[in-house]
Amino acid sequence: MEKLTYEKPYIKKLHAGVMNKFGTRTGIQPVKQIDGVSVKKLIEGYGSPVFVLSEKQIRKNYRSAYRAFSTRYPKVQFAWSYKTNYLNAVCQIFHQEGSWAEVVSGSEYQKALGNGVPGNKIIFNGPGKSKEELKIAVDNNSLIHIDHFEELNQLLTLSKELVNKPRVAIRVNMDTGVYPSWDRFGFNYENNEAWTALEKIVTSGKLQLVGLHCHIGTYMLSTAAYGIAANTLCDLAMRCNTLLNHKIEYLDMGGGFPSTNTLKGAYLPGADTVPTVDDFAEIITSTLLNFGFAQEDLPLLILESGRVLIDDAGYLLGTVIANKRLNNGKRATIMDFGVNILFTSFWYEHQISPAQDFNPHNENMIIYGPLCMNIDVIRESINLPLLNTGDHVVVHKVGAYNMTQWMQFITLRPAVVLIDEQQRTHLIRTNETLHYTEEPEVMPAHLRPSK
Amino acid sequence: MKQQIALFIRSVINSYSVLFFSQNRVLGIILLLVSFFNPVAGLAGLACVVLSLLIARLLKFSDDNLQMGIYSFNSLLLGIAFGSFYQVNRLFVIWLVFACIMVVVAAIIFSQRLGKIGLPMLSLPFILVFWLVLLATHSIFNTGLQQKNSYLLEEIYNGSGNIAGIEEALATHLPKLVGLFFRSLSAVLFQHNIIAGMLIAIGLLIHSRISFCLLVIGFMVACGFNYFTNTYPEGISYYHLGVNVMMTTVAIGSFFTIPSMRSYLLGILCIPVVFILINAFAGFMSVHLLPIFSLPFCVINISLLYFLMLRKNPGKLQLATVQHYSPERNLYQFLNHQDRLNDLKYLKLNLPFMGFWTVSQGYNGAVTHKGEWGRALDFVIRDDEHNTYQYPGTLPEHFYCYNKPVLACGDGLVEQVVNHVEDNAIGHINLKENWGNTVVIRHATGLYSKVSHLKKSSIKVKAGDIVKQGDLLGLCGNSGRSPEPHLHFQLQTTPYIGSKTMAYPLAYYFSRHDNKNSLESYEIPAEGTLLSNPEINQSVKKAFNLEPGYTAQLISENGRVENWEVFKDALGQLYLYSKNTGAVAYFINNGTLFYFTSYYGDKRSLLYYFYLAAYKVIFSDAESIVANDQLPLQLTGRKPLLWLQDLVAPFYRFIHINYQSNCQLQKNSLIIEAKQYQEIAGKKTQIIEATVNVDQDSLQAFSITINGENIKARWGTENT
Repeated sequence: MEKLTYEKPYIKKLHAGVMNKFGTRTGIQPVKQIDGVSVKKLIEGYGSPVFVLSEKQIRKNYRSAYRAFSTRYPKVQFAWSYKTNYLNAVCQIFHQEGSWAEVVSGSEYQKALGNGVPGNKIIFNGPGKSKEELKIAVDNNSLIHIDHFEELNQLLTLSKELVNKPRVAIRVNMDTGVYPSWDRFGFNYENNEAWTALEKIVTSGKLQLVGLHCHIGTYMLSTAAYGIAANTLCDLAMRCNTLLNHKIEYLDMGGGFPSTNTLKGAYLPGADTVPTVDDFAEIITSTLLNFGFAQEDLPLLILESGRVLIDDAGYLLGTVIANKRLNNGKRATIMDFGVNILFTSFWYEHQISPAQDFNPHNENMIIYGPLCMNIDVIRESINLPLLNTGDHVVVHKVGAYNMTQWMQFITLRPAVVLIDEQQRTHLIRTNETLHYTEEPEVMPAHLRPSK
Repeated sequence: MKQQIALFIRSVINSYSVLFFSQNRVLGIILLLVSFFNPVAGLAGLACVVLSLLIARLLKFSDDNLQMGIYSFNSLLLGIAFGSFYQVNRLFVIWLVFACIMVVVAAIIFSQRLGKIGLPMLSLPFILVFWLVLLATHSIFNTGLQQKNSYLLEEIYNGSGNIAGIEEALATHLPKLVGLFFRSLSAVLFQHNIIAGMLIAIGLLIHSRISFCLLVIGFMVACGFNYFTNTYPEGISYYHLGVNVMMTTVAIGSFFTIPSMRSYLLGILCIPVVFILINAFAGFMSVHLLPIFSLPFCVINISLLYFLMLRKNPGKLQLATVQHYSPERNLYQFLNHQDRLNDLKYLKLNLPFMGFWTVSQGYNGAVTHKGEWGRALDFVIRDDEHNTYQYPGTLPEHFYCYNKPVLACGDGLVEQVVNHVEDNAIGHINLKENWGNTVVIRHATGLYSKVSHLKKSSIKVKAGDIVKQGDLLGLCGNSGRSPEPHLHFQLQTTPYIGSKTMAYPLAYYFSRHDNKNSLESYEIPAEGTLLSNPEINQSVKKAFNLEPGYTAQLISENGRVENWEVFKDALGQLYLYSKNTGAVAYFINNGTLFYFTSYYGDKRSLLYYFYLAAYKVIFSDAESIVANDQLPLQLTGRKPLLWLQDLVAPFYRFIHINYQSNCQLQKNSLIIEAKQYQEIAGKKTQIIEATVNVDQDSLQAFSITINGENIKARWGTENT
């Protein structure tokens, strides 16, 4: 008989809850491998913590989302939202699949160019574009989505000195019946600001109005809102056609489709509550198809989805540093990854799985990160089996926003590993070194340490 | 003015070369020279040509026919005959002028009437008018024309026997048959001169290897046949041998038909018939003292051609529908068009859905596509794991294709709609209403398409509606004989639901293999193919959207300027016309690709280079989409080899010219890269490299490297 592993004795508070036919089991399964690569080997090879991305899953997500739209609408284009995850390797996967680039800053713009995206396939969004950045975008024939009148005026002035006629769209905000209404970006539809901007662009004759853009929110749980948004853009496009005699080439519906992560405060898990990409595709495409465009005049439909395409392809592997019992008797486990690298733990109740076999007993516990800061809480309450120091865990669905919003704070940022479709691992970002973080620093002479 | 004179000289020369169904200048000039072997006849012939051309020009008859010498070659024959038959005197000139006018009138009437039903007039006007002249001179009234007394006339009148006349020194040295061959050739110009025949033979060889080959074959077979039957114990008259037998073999074997084994055979089979015609007509006409000239040739050609035209199914013996006045060109263009002109053969049908679907059951599939209902396609959507549904797949809604839009595959009229059949639960079938919810569309008489198993109450069209290609018909469902959601698509000749199927290709579609798309054209997709309608790059499409009225000015690197304009001809075909060089390039743009079909004119024109560079362009920017094509063989630069190829071309081709192009995205624009390879007996060499630049939805420039020489040109001003 195999020798059983030693289990530390513990005392557990008895909860007299509702009877449950499954007993005390939680259904937690150990996750020992990702895409066929063992978690243990990954940590041995690349250190702990480490971010792992699955190329297979990314491609699968892209293809199924693209299929959802392209089998419902004749002209569909995806643009990869750089801010969601702009590791070049990740961007290249999306570009290989056919995505354009959607960027919101000059540096992201340069990144897209560096990734070999042709200028006319870069969408330049955001409220903060500088004059120089606009100039470069115009030179490259990029699609500039105007956010406010200052930008519009600046483009009109710029267009006098540039060879290319800027190709522009305006971002439109509107009431889609969803709170909070994002009215801080773009021009408002209801108070006619958007129409004023469109008239100004077309009558100026200096800008080439090619599209209309909206982005009604993020992690949207209502498909109806997209129906309203699509209808609004169609209405503006049709008015442009009839009143300004100007044909709109594309409608950019933005992104904002939710991943299956569970939002904090949600009663049911995300996987059970969020609409699928198919649901969004159905309402958007049917609105467009039924609006009354002539078949050959149907505008190109652009989508800038980020989160839904990558969130579940990302994993964070970590190691237990220590266990504690808090004063109130609650168990606490300290991990070697903190909120500085797992930014989304502020929004989501991330699913965490042990990476090795465990005993069937589990306990509600709090998961802390390694930072010497009170805010460093990964999960405030989670039922997990008892973990020992040195055990590995896998945090799920961390592909979106973490690898862009992470901070170098107290600890250094870890490596990122990509598992390709042939189950080979590739280091796509090395872990940070002290030298890297100190490199930009300049020491005034009088503060230099004396030898 | 200078141009006018050049054109006039050209039509004079063409009047000569067209005697041998050619527009070859060298042959024309040789014939012109040879006709002067008999100076009087030559002069009279030339005078008649000039006179008739002037008349036709003055009266503004069709420029094309004028240019090709159609109206004047009968006058030429008349002039030569006049010069050969009559002695020159004052009255000779007068009668010649009037006879010539009569021929012109006859030629124009004949060419009009016969042309309407697609038949040539050949030398009928000449024969008719000259008979009248002969009858008039034979009459009791005095015309003042004095017939020559020569062996030639004897020969023509008697129609057989002795080869008499001036025996050249050559005649004694050459074998009898060879001498006879050349003599026979010279008979077309009413001569019996070996040197003349030799010169004509050289001209003909330059004009066409196939024609020359057929002349020899006709000659040999006729001599052999005569030897065998002994119809003419003293040998066939060289006049009839040349004018009737050999010319018939050439015309039937290579001019009116596309040269092939069958056309050669037909040309040979005509020979005995020509024998019958010669004998019959000669006997009949001798009563009136009239020579029959080339009447047997005219009769057999016109009647056989008409007979061939009446066939319902041309099969492998094809008539030359577009006449290039060169058997080689006819053949190469025909072979080239056979593979390329599917756009003119089939209606352009698209796939009835959006995005990529998979053929789950193809033609004559194992499940339900059997027998007369075998030519149908079933489509489903599959994911990367080849599943058609999402877990758990127990409801139609779990299937990817369910609820997806179904489109009209082509323009047409909705014939029938069924929209009330319930969708089945998964695994159940409804045999009572086998086809479920269905739409039948009439695209043309005898061409209907049907989509079946649609979702209940999802159909947006009703019977009598007119739909355009790509219009939404309804949604994919699970009604009728459908255990799981799929789309059934078939073409049929009758408008009924339940009609039997017919095989019909889809115009263009992308088929995806290993995540790479390739463009298939006019194919029937096989089971398991992952396919979608082609993804079109609008910028390239707009750039190549050359409608009538499009004008462009091209400026080459060395400062040459050419003005182009797009026109539409009487048959509705579009062509680019270079105003400066007169060159013409026909093209087709079907919304998925642009390709040239033929080029006529100066090979130094910028239009010719553009023709080579943009021979075929697919409107797609995907790198994996490569356009492959073949150019007609006459464009090869290897002339000596081509002559060899010409000789055997009707039976076997060992030279191929391949063309390849694809679009490459640049930073802000797009270039089309093209390459041309020559393949000789399997050995491939690149001969041309070209690029065409597209920017801002229009053509910007092109560059081509041909035999190491680089030519660059850019578009100047343009309007569309």
